[in-house]
Amino acid sequence: MEAWVVATSLIFLYLLATIVLGVVANKRMTVDMEDFLLYGRKAGFIVLYLTVVATFHSAFAFLGSGGFFYTHGIGFWAAGTWTLLVGAITYVLGPRIWALGKAFGYITPADMLADFYESEAVRVVVAIVSVVFTILYIQVQAQGLGYIINVASGDRISFELGTLILLVVAAAYLMAGGLRAVYWTDVIQGVWMYVAVWVGAMYLAYELFGGPLELWRQVQAQRPDLLGLPGPRGFFTPGMWIGMTITLSFGIIFQPHMMIRYYTAVDARTLKILGATTPIYLMTLYIPAALVGLGGAVAMPGLDIPDQIFPELLFAHAPPVLTGVILAGATAAAMSTLDSILHANMTVLTRDVYQRYIAPDRDQAHYVLIGRLLVGALLVVGYVLSVRTFDFLVVLVTLSGAGALQLMPAIVSCLFPGPRTLTRAGVLAGLFAGLVTLYVTLVVVAHPLGMHGGIWSLIVNTVVAIAVSAGTPGPSDATLERIHGEVERQVYGP
Amino acid sequence: MARIPPPSHFWPRTREGRIAVGAFVVLFALCMPPFTHTVWDRPDAWIGGWPSFLVVLFLIYSALVGVLVWTLRKGV
Repeated sequence: MEAWVVATSLIFLYLLATIVLGVVANKRMTVDMEDFLLYGRKAGFIVLYLTVVATFHSAFAFLGSGGFFYTHGIGFWAAGTWTLLVGAITYVLGPRIWALGKAFGYITPADMLADFYESEAVRVVVAIVSVVFTILYIQVQAQGLGYIINVASGDRISFELGTLILLVVAAAYLMAGGLRAVYWTDVIQGVWMYVAVWVGAMYLAYELFGGPLELWRQVQAQRPDLLGLPGPRGFFTPGMWIGMTITLSFGIIFQPHMMIRYYTAVDARTLKILGATTPIYLMTLYIPAALVGLGGAVAMPGLDIPDQIFPELLFAHAPPVLTGVILAGATAAAMSTLDSILHANMTVLTRDVYQRYIAPDRDQAHYVLIGRLLVGALLVVGYVLSVRTFDFLVVLVTLSGAGALQLMPAIVSCLFPGPRTLTRAGVLAGLFAGLVTLYVTLVVVAHPLGMHGGIWSLIVNTVVAIAVSAGTPGPSDATLERIHGEVERQVYGP
Repeated sequence: MARIPPPSHFWPRTREGRIAVGAFVVLFALCMPPFTHTVWDRPDAWIGGWPSFLVVLFLIYSALVGVLVWTLRKGV
């Protein structure tokens, strides 16, 4: 049987399995917002672990990281720094966010920040930032999916049709089972993508070079420029290293699809265990990516689109069944992030816009219905964005992360009691200044002085927020007592 | 009467907390510039047949995971 038939069949089998899970999740669902949007706040360790790692690692981890090693060399091992930081952030911030969500019924990041800063303007701006920057992320994942199915089918299924099929499947099981369906499919996806990357990379290392050690010898002999910093194209300067570390850790954690996961944990200790252990999965996934990217630079030089290195090597050197299994794993990587972003955007729009400003007093079933309709609308938006452009995956991810990074000063001030807090005026001014700076340092003059634009914008945001807060009224004593008091009890006990 | 805010959360209150933060910060600094671009940037150095850059950073990353697990066990 031809490779493309096996690969495509396995991907469609995998898609069928996700839909079945969505239907089963639907049977278990009760029609209320906490169950549909937050898994009833009872996600245990294994489910939460696999959904967090599967959501964090996307099409970018599966395809873009290999492409990055291929193009820029070993400097991409910087990836370990941001995965470690994700663990530490989860350990420190996760239980605080969980405690506030449980105590005050928060569902979205905007719920928490609007309550603390006593400001509807903060709610609206945070909701806008949440949606705008994660829609970019839908584009990235959907493009990755379309590309995977296009490659797997040997160009018989177009990129556009592939994108549409996979978006529709993700939207279908999300509509059916809500966050429960997302979590259950993420469990499969998290396991599948990890096994697939490792098995595929090791197979290729032995098939092409006789093992990883010979692979490294060949890289040293033929492409020694890939083994040093800042890499053959000078990309990994110190400023970029630091910038990517901050942007791809804090910036991704503060996106709504990651923050909402903290609300869903069954207890705070689960989040601490999660924080201590997720870097093991997240970091070690980049080791096979290094083998694929750097080995690929030797075995298959001159690719026009470096992100294609993994599937191209598989099609050229691996048996069809293995190629199919691994490409289904790549599909899993992209879908597990895509469904979470669709869910998060749906949650923000339902909770922060529709319920708050359009129809505040309807029953739970009504909001669940609106959520499902919004998923359909987001599917259309995501599809249109996806088929318009195709660019290097990591650049878009970085832009997305840098946007959500602008929420950092507001979130830290909310979650860390201290002698002074930011004010609503300070937060809004900081966000505005940060977003303007982000545009300037990513689009107008990219990464001035070799420092990542995300860092420039965060610095400006923080300075402006502190300066404006010094001269404006902060949250009331009652709010500080209520929210910081809850954080104090969570961290240090009653 | 003016509200008395809780003590700052920006500085750990327990000995274990201070050890955990200190160890994490020191180890994390070791996998950031300038160390990465000077001390660890050795394209010709190998450890067990693997690039030393990859191995050294892997060991530091593993130590950081160790700090997080230790912190968890200490209940910080």
